[in-house]
Amino acid sequence: MTTLSFDASSDPILERRRRIQSVASVSLKRRKVYSRIAIGICWLFLAVAIVPLIAVVFYVVIKGLPAWSVDFFTKVTVPEGIPGGGVWNAIVGTIEIGAVATAVTVPIGLLCGLFLAESEGKVAATIRFSADVMTGVPSITIGIFGYIAIVKNFGGYSGLAGAFAIGIIMLPVIMRAGETAIRGVPANLSEAAFALGARKAATARRVVLPAALPGIITGVLLAIARGLGETAPLLLTIFGNQYLQWNPTKPMEALPLVIYNNSSQPYADLLQVAWGAALLLMVVVLILSIGSRVVASVLQREKR
Amino acid sequence: MTPQPRSGRRRKNTLVAAVGLVAAGSILAAVGSTSAYAASANSAYLAADLKAPAGTLQAAGSTFVQPFFTSAFYAYTGKNSGLQINYQGVGSGQGISSFQAGTVNFAASDVPMTASDLAKVPASSGPVIQVPDTLGGVSISYNLPGVTKQLKLNSATLVGIFEGNITTWNNPAIKATNPGVALPAKTIVPEVRADSSGTTYIFTDYLNSSGGTGATAWTLGTNKTIAWPASAVQSPHNTGVAASIKSTPYSIGYVELAYAIQNKFTYAAIKNAAGVYVTPSLKSVAADASSKTGLSPTDFSIVNGPGKGSYPISGYSWAILLQKQTNATVGAGVVKVLDWTTHTGGGQSLAASLDYVPLPAAVQQQVRTALLTVKGSNGKALLTK
Amino acid sequence: MTMAVQTPRGGARRGGRLALSNGVYRGLLAAVVAVFVAVVIWFLVSLIVQARPAFSTLGFSWIIQKTWDPNSNKFGLLPFILGTIETTAIAMVLAVPIGLGTALSLAYLVPHRLRPPLSTAVELLAAVPSVVYGLWGLIVLAPLFREHVEPFLTSVLGWTGLFNGPDQGVGLLLAGVILFVMVLPTMVAISRDVLAVVPNEQVEGAMALGATRWQVLRKVVVPGARTGLLGGFTLATGRALGETVAVALVIGNSPYIAHSIKSPAATLPSLIVNNFGEATGTELSALFGAGLVLLVIGVAVNAVARMLVRSTSRAAAAASVAVA
Repeated sequence: MTTLSFDASSDPILERRRRIQSVASVSLKRRKVYSRIAIGICWLFLAVAIVPLIAVVFYVVIKGLPAWSVDFFTKVTVPEGIPGGGVWNAIVGTIEIGAVATAVTVPIGLLCGLFLAESEGKVAATIRFSADVMTGVPSITIGIFGYIAIVKNFGGYSGLAGAFAIGIIMLPVIMRAGETAIRGVPANLSEAAFALGARKAATARRVVLPAALPGIITGVLLAIARGLGETAPLLLTIFGNQYLQWNPTKPMEALPLVIYNNSSQPYADLLQVAWGAALLLMVVVLILSIGSRVVASVLQREKR
Repeated sequence: MTPQPRSGRRRKNTLVAAVGLVAAGSILAAVGSTSAYAASANSAYLAADLKAPAGTLQAAGSTFVQPFFTSAFYAYTGKNSGLQINYQGVGSGQGISSFQAGTVNFAASDVPMTASDLAKVPASSGPVIQVPDTLGGVSISYNLPGVTKQLKLNSATLVGIFEGNITTWNNPAIKATNPGVALPAKTIVPEVRADSSGTTYIFTDYLNSSGGTGATAWTLGTNKTIAWPASAVQSPHNTGVAASIKSTPYSIGYVELAYAIQNKFTYAAIKNAAGVYVTPSLKSVAADASSKTGLSPTDFSIVNGPGKGSYPISGYSWAILLQKQTNATVGAGVVKVLDWTTHTGGGQSLAASLDYVPLPAAVQQQVRTALLTVKGSNGKALLTK
Repeated sequence: MTMAVQTPRGGARRGGRLALSNGVYRGLLAAVVAVFVAVVIWFLVSLIVQARPAFSTLGFSWIIQKTWDPNSNKFGLLPFILGTIETTAIAMVLAVPIGLGTALSLAYLVPHRLRPPLSTAVELLAAVPSVVYGLWGLIVLAPLFREHVEPFLTSVLGWTGLFNGPDQGVGLLLAGVILFVMVLPTMVAISRDVLAVVPNEQVEGAMALGATRWQVLRKVVVPGARTGLLGGFTLATGRALGETVAVALVIGNSPYIAHSIKSPAATLPSLIVNNFGEATGTELSALFGAGLVLLVIGVAVNAVARMLVRSTSRAAAAASVAVA
């Protein structure tokens, strides 16, 4: 920062400019230092944030991979001390419970989403608000509801009770994702369909839903990912089962339950089962999340 | 020996003797077959147990008995693959409440249901049968780095530790019973159960009945849940406490003996009623139980048993089922599995290898007698030979 | 005749299988929505009905009493309410600066080419199941805390009186840190989104005036995204308040008011999940009451968050319309 030297000492305007510039240069230096420090802290925080996130993935992979074997995926639980056990019963349970919950909540959620997308007014606003609120309900509260509603009423733990609880968690997510996706469809598409004489049902089925499909699929995959990872509702509804159980009206096993129960075990082999199941669950959930993005971007590109 | 006259009288005597023998033999045979515990009858029952109808039983409860049950049931299903027993170790308290709610076919608890527990079973379900299914000990395991010698602890010290009054390992009370052991000046971390636990009941029963008065009296009661001091770390199930002890230095807690042995814990020698410091083992637990007469669901405590070789913190665990089984298949499955598990030649032959004490013969007999009263809806006993 | 265009209200000739009239269609949608509403009402009613015996037996103040002792019929929830608040507070005290700093980095500092993968990576971690975090916290972090972190913090910050007691690993501090790791991706994702959409004109205007990079961020970007940041913050808080299994595994489950940040403690969710299976009678009813308290807290926080986030997106939309 050089000032023009030009007999400056005698000219009041230049003198004033020189003083402003010297003050500004000091202030600028200080502000630059502050800026460097603060920006540095931002970078530091970025690093601090990345460390635990990487650490979780790293540990789960390192400790879970040794558990993965053919037996792990094909055999059921065995008592402590007996080798060769696996989590096949938990995999079956997780898939069945997830499938039942998805099969029930996707149609209901999409139809509710259609309703909300097509309606304005107080009723729709209240329902929208309830859905938003339900997505924030702690999952343990939904778990105790699942116990009272299904287990107590039907006299036993079951995979269906678990699917019910998971479904309640998934439903509002699909509703809101569906509504957002459907609202994102340009109005002129459905208006054109109406002009051609189609009724609302036909329009919805043949025009709106297909157009909203990327957003819907994204929302559904994310809801499934969330549903599969929930543990608290399952703890109170499905009881657990050491044996393979295809019948959802009976107690079943599930991956989150296996992880939770084996986390606080003193036996090293049971702990390893927990890590292996954790790795499996994490991989499945990540695939669903990544898959939802991939599907969304592929379908978006195709639309254009 | 004067020779008997070879006349009709001899033939008559022989005939009488023969008839007498036959009569005696058949009476004995009759008695033998009605004594359900006679060796031949036992194997007949055990053989029939393995022919129970196919199905799945749901059971829940004690983690005290879980290592024994899961291995015994695994062996049972190995021999009778159609019948699966899904046993979940959720703690005695939850076992009882699941039984009250009717969501399990049988429950397991280290403390039998009390009168108020039984009152919560719907009256329409009928009477409840409770039978002992295993015998085990509660070890006082600790994680004390650097101390290799086994600690000797008495009830006064344990009361102090688990009430939160004795807070460091080099406390005079601990030093007094362990002369020559270099105890560190570190804070004790008591490890206890977070859930409703029969193991807690047995342990607090021992603390309560150890007869301390004044400062050494146990004030927190005998129960499945206790208001532990704030410094205690609470973990669910025997496995949670075991895991916590294993990973927390300077901790001490109570875990069922099988877990302590299998995880190679260090556990203390406890002073028994005879004043001797005894290490928990199958032998010392059996000694503690040996003097108990009249075992029943209302008189079941065996802590602080007499005898020099008795380990004072021992207990039976109990299986709980309904006398009236509305589903004959399930009911037959329940009684036959429980019968097989509680008798020598069946599950009890595995007990020692799993670090549990086999049930004494008299107790086994008691169990079978009780199980024979379980009936289906047609009024017929479900336990058959 | 067959070529005539059907009017929307015409007969069921065209449309094939889905020949629903509009009335039937709307009716169907309304019926399905009614199912959703019925489930929500059933949910609320069940909780209230199950919790009522506790209120009628114990009065209304039992919620804020401080002793939980089922043996003497005491079911005070204060230790658990405080535990819930304290673990969430620890999590958010860490998550706000670190989350904000990370979001700022991702939105403005990181080279453009690295932004999508890094942002995606952070968002994907929001999907990792909470029980996995719990397992990792218990097995990996707890020993680390007991051996290194807690002694270090006690030596540095012991004078505050918050770090009394032995180093056990499990406790309030570990639970708070696990919650921090869990809500971090949510906070970063939402914050980054709202920070990135601060109007360019404002940012460039500040730069033109000679502001340093930090001054631009601090005085223009962050205030400009203020509402959305608050929304993200409240959403993350809501998630932390309701977290169950990860906390239950690492908090030590001590039903007392914690006197130190290293103490074992308990939260409302951990109380419910640990005791629900074995509770009967008044205790079970008290647990439903705890569930209701948790529900009210979670719903209130979530509702506030939604309002804030929605007002931000509306403001952003309006702003972009205004500029265009």
